[in-house]
Amino acid sequence: MGVVMPLKAEAREMTTREVAKADSTDIALFVRTSQEDMMGWDRQRIVDALLRETYLDRDTAEKISKEVEKVIQTGTVKTVTGPLIREMVNAKLLEMGLEEARRMHTRLGVPLYDVDQLLVQHNKENANVPHGPEATNLTLAEGIKKEYALLHVFTPDVADAHLLGDLHLHDLGFIDRPYCSGQSLEYIKKFGLNLPHALSMAKPAKHAEVLLAHMVKFAAALQSHFAGAIGWDAINLFFAPYLEELDDRGVKQLAQMLIYEFSQQAVARGGQAIFSDINVYWEVPKHFVDVPAIGPGGVYTGKTYGEYEKQAQRFAWALFDVYREGDAAGRPFFFPKPLVHITEKFFKTEGHMDFLHHICEVAAVKGNTYFIFDRGETAKISECCRLSFKLEASDFEDAKEPWKMRYSALQNVTVNLPRLAYQAKGDDTKLFTLLTEKMQLAAKAHEQKKKFIEKLLSMGTNGPLSLLAMNLDGQSYLRLHRCSYLIGMVGLNELVKVHTGQELHDSDAAMKFGLKVIAHMNIVCAKMAESMGMKFVLEQTPAESTAYRFAKLDLAHFPEQAAKTVQGNLAKNEVYYTNSTLYHVGATMNPITRVDSEGLFHPLIEAGAITHLWLGEAQPDKEAIASFIINVFRHTQNDQIAFSPEFTCCLECGKTSRGLSEQCPHCGSEKVDGITRITGYFTKISSWNKGKLGELKERYRNQRQFAQA
Amino acid sequence: MTLFTKDDCVLCEQIKQQFDLQALDVKIEVLNSNDAGALAHLAWHRLVETARKRLPILVLDDSSSVDEFTHIERHLAARAQERGVAIQASATRAACESGSCAL
Repeated sequence: MGVVMPLKAEAREMTTREVAKADSTDIALFVRTSQEDMMGWDRQRIVDALLRETYLDRDTAEKISKEVEKVIQTGTVKTVTGPLIREMVNAKLLEMGLEEARRMHTRLGVPLYDVDQLLVQHNKENANVPHGPEATNLTLAEGIKKEYALLHVFTPDVADAHLLGDLHLHDLGFIDRPYCSGQSLEYIKKFGLNLPHALSMAKPAKHAEVLLAHMVKFAAALQSHFAGAIGWDAINLFFAPYLEELDDRGVKQLAQMLIYEFSQQAVARGGQAIFSDINVYWEVPKHFVDVPAIGPGGVYTGKTYGEYEKQAQRFAWALFDVYREGDAAGRPFFFPKPLVHITEKFFKTEGHMDFLHHICEVAAVKGNTYFIFDRGETAKISECCRLSFKLEASDFEDAKEPWKMRYSALQNVTVNLPRLAYQAKGDDTKLFTLLTEKMQLAAKAHEQKKKFIEKLLSMGTNGPLSLLAMNLDGQSYLRLHRCSYLIGMVGLNELVKVHTGQELHDSDAAMKFGLKVIAHMNIVCAKMAESMGMKFVLEQTPAESTAYRFAKLDLAHFPEQAAKTVQGNLAKNEVYYTNSTLYHVGATMNPITRVDSEGLFHPLIEAGAITHLWLGEAQPDKEAIASFIINVFRHTQNDQIAFSPEFTCCLECGKTSRGLSEQCPHCGSEKVDGITRITGYFTKISSWNKGKLGELKERYRNQRQFAQA
Repeated sequence: MTLFTKDDCVLCEQIKQQFDLQALDVKIEVLNSNDAGALAHLAWHRLVETARKRLPILVLDDSSSVDEFTHIERHLAARAQERGVAIQASATRAACESGSCAL
């Protein structure tokens, strides 16, 4: 009888101290050796594992091991493996009613069948993950970490809420890292590329191309330490001191390098391009005007950033030249996403109308431009699909030393709003009570993740989060005390539909009720923040897969109500809930009405909100879009808007055409793929999940209504 | 008309002392941590950002709004005159030094 004991916990007695000391390399080597050795049967290993991993007493552990041994000795099992023994022990624990011990003794893993499927089928949970061996590694690792998180990081009530679909804990597969982040280029300008345990260290860059190389490498390192987006603040301004040595051609070349480096880097985590954002300003933001500029070699140039306005503008212009051209096939660049801040000062800065027309042309032609509206004294760093870090008084103080301006949201937890309406059955009190309860559970989840990350960070630069623990400026890179904790929402539109009988766009009464729900969430966040000392803020959930997941789970758990409520095509299983607080994508309305009405929610959603305008094949004039943008800034409360055209790219002739077609209009081939925004970023439609495909079919495309607006 | 106020807002308090708001048919919305309805109403009128800077805010019958203290007084005084409602004159203007006259 062959006995295979492949895993360390199953194969060898190790005291807790030994385990703590052993690094992952030692453990991996031991596993390989034991597999090759085909170690002999030893009942004692079961006892040891039970005593090490659970709170069982020795007598019970001995008893279980003997009973398992008896089954093994019957000889019916030809090949005994470590996982099999563990399953048998767990079955015995269940039989004996020792549920907690069974939970502690759980083996995390993936069934053979699932691995087989994963290796050949494209995982579409995240459209930004390609299909390939690296992606498979990512999916498998994420699968194990998800299980670990739900078993070991979160308490059963939180884990159950996620599994049942009351809540969605985002990026569980990245449980050991924070969610999204906002970065400052000043950090690498000042300190060089000096990462813990790196094989080499680079001094601060002396030339623009080297600074760009440092930025790209640092972004890749950050991608390995954050689950989501890596956003960069005021990128054109912070590059400016390096641009004086470059002529216009050189600046254009640098812009091209930056965009291609970020859009092509599909060799990092899981083969994903880095989800990257660059914040761009035409003016010098007020809080940077008098700040001494850091230039080549990491030394102060003797000027302030206010004096680099023209250089910063040259770079901003060149970046949008590149975006307008698109890639070699004329397709829009997916990353880095350019976020242009529209402020009061923007309109007072020379050349602003020319620049506005330039970025509006890019919005019309390729759709890349995101317009971020910072009204009054508001300033923020934006990133991800819509996340914003609004700058507070302490941030303006940090702006004097901009390398300190690093922000992160530690986690995102989304509440399934339509389900609350199913449960409340028209009772307002019950609805708001349930909403509060779910938000409290979300806050509990945040507290638990925070505790887990704190534990990892406490191991310092020798721990797994060494990069985030590095301390080059007197504080750890991740400023945990400044992190925010996101609470999101999916399906406000469907909650209102179930509770009031109308969708948000149907009537003022429906809209007012929707506002009341979000106002309630805003108030509960503020109360919890005060009582728990954590910065809870609302964010519109992008819900790339959550809108689909919640709809499917509700169809399973609340079939009668959900079948009448979910959007999309039920027969094809292309179902979804409307994202966050958005109006239904199919609602017929002119763009300014959508932007204005959806914008009513935005001041209540402090960590970021957006309105999408789907263009289809329409290509409005840059002047019409520019005037639309000015209107939105002056007359609405909307935080951010993006225009999304659609494209067809031919896999045969390589040409790109406007609109979504079944056939290439150039060569007639049917081998085509579509491109448009899935939620907050462009992707190929072939990588979309079923829910998003259902949504795409229902999107109302605004054609020629911008000039009228 | 609707007057958006807050409990610890001294300027809001002064307006309430000067004018008999009930007699003027002015609805009071108190923005506190227990009333999502008032906050939603504020958002409906696009006034959340304004309220973060200053309170009180008066929403007029045509849905336009006034947030300058003296303008609020003027509008309420005009309505009081129209309806023959007495005004309680205030000798001194309350000052909002604590920053509490904002959301």
